[in-house]
Amino acid sequence: MAEITPFTYRPGDSILHLLDTRLKFFIISLVNISMLPAGFISTGFYFFMLLFFFKKTGLRFFSMLSNMKFFLILLVFVFLARAFTITGDTVFSSFGVTVSNQGLAEGGMVAFKFFLIMLTGIIFSATTKPSSVKTAVQWFLKPVPFVPEKRVAVMISLALCFMPVILRQAKEVSDAQKARCAHLQKNPIRKTIGIVLPLLKKTFLSADNLILAMESRCYSDDRTDPEFNPSGKERGFFFGSIAVSICLILF
Amino acid sequence: MPKAIIDIKDLSFIFDDGFRGLNHISLSINQGEFIILAGKNGSGKTTFLRHLNGLLMPTSGTIRVNGLEISKHLIETRKTVGMVFQDPDTQMVGDTVFDEVAFGPENLKITRARIKEIVTKVLETLNLFHLKDRNPSTLSGGEKRKVAIAGILVMDPQVIVFDEPFSNLDYPGILQVLATIMDLHRAGQTVMIATHDIEPVIFEATRMIIMEKGSVKEDDVPLNLVGRLESYGVREPCFSKFGLEPQSWQK
Repeated sequence: MAEITPFTYRPGDSILHLLDTRLKFFIISLVNISMLPAGFISTGFYFFMLLFFFKKTGLRFFSMLSNMKFFLILLVFVFLARAFTITGDTVFSSFGVTVSNQGLAEGGMVAFKFFLIMLTGIIFSATTKPSSVKTAVQWFLKPVPFVPEKRVAVMISLALCFMPVILRQAKEVSDAQKARCAHLQKNPIRKTIGIVLPLLKKTFLSADNLILAMESRCYSDDRTDPEFNPSGKERGFFFGSIAVSICLILF
Repeated sequence: MPKAIIDIKDLSFIFDDGFRGLNHISLSINQGEFIILAGKNGSGKTTFLRHLNGLLMPTSGTIRVNGLEISKHLIETRKTVGMVFQDPDTQMVGDTVFDEVAFGPENLKITRARIKEIVTKVLETLNLFHLKDRNPSTLSGGEKRKVAIAGILVMDPQVIVFDEPFSNLDYPGILQVLATIMDLHRAGQTVMIATHDIEPVIFEATRMIIMEKGSVKEDDVPLNLVGRLESYGVREPCFSKFGLEPQSWQK
């Protein structure tokens, strides 16, 4: 069975599950852009709002955090990079490294904003079926000339479907290598080649099988159009997201 | 006299590298038959099945499905002859069971309302409706095979061909898939199963074709052929080896 990651879709019937995916795209884009100039108060407010939606959608916040530990480590690096490079009132200085008050505040803020963007992404992907993402992308691309939106949509859908298969195959290849003591190999290039080559071979074979399976089910670009089922709460969320964006920009 | 759905005359196929995959095969597949296509690895079973679905085209000879030459009526052929592949993981294109089963009808440009109706009906028939929102990659092996069968059944084929349907399945998984195949056959579906392990299906099958080196070597009622199976590299069923009466695997 495939592993569940923080970004895996989780079926449900919360309001966020039922919201039109096109609007979710709009809200995410708007709020994330508005986050750039946001201050401490509004980001704090937005954080509590996200916690509310975590609860509403049945996602477990702390279990998500434990799944995101590598991302949190990255945020620590972002924080440290800012804290060490921004000059201001010195808090601590040793071995030529100076940490300033402004650096700590700025680093904390940037890391916190990245964290909020990540939480927003988790809520989006946990409440949005990949097929809805595909249909929304198809809808957004429709007015763009010279872009075969239906083909792009199927490509997105296949990439999303194939990701767990490729990850599983990568793990199988890696385990098979470990079983033959490949972990004793110190050269990182040889180590990588040992995994990448069989994985690529497996991936191409799987892609070949997928093409045959799609062909056998009469695949064509000219397919039944996607369907959107608005929940009726879109208007409220639309104006709400604009209000949140204004708050983020002003405070 | 049963009606012939597929009529094959002097079918030969040569791969690009010159290897002869199929060698002068002539036979008919009649409505309501349950055929085992047996043979060891490399005997040409999969190559043969792929011709029935129009995934491969004959180098020489003809295949007619309901009297129509397949090369000229590809879509009709693929609607009439559905193919379930060996590895369900590499044929899943939907991110939920419902979307996966709906993939074929969407390719046929069936209306969204009708797609909902027929997909729901097929999922209920195969007892999969409770899984409709699950990601196919998170299902058990037996459930994945059943979803793959549903994805074919929804296109209302007259013949379903299975390529090694029991490979990589545990005993309960085999029973689950076998029960589904038997239900389909009892409902009047024509079934063809390519396998090198005939034990689970020999009791149920009405005909067995044995292939070797791309040619049909035997074509008879299964029980007439069991004693000769091992000369073609196919394991003889236990009941025959120990002089017992054949028994169904179905409980």
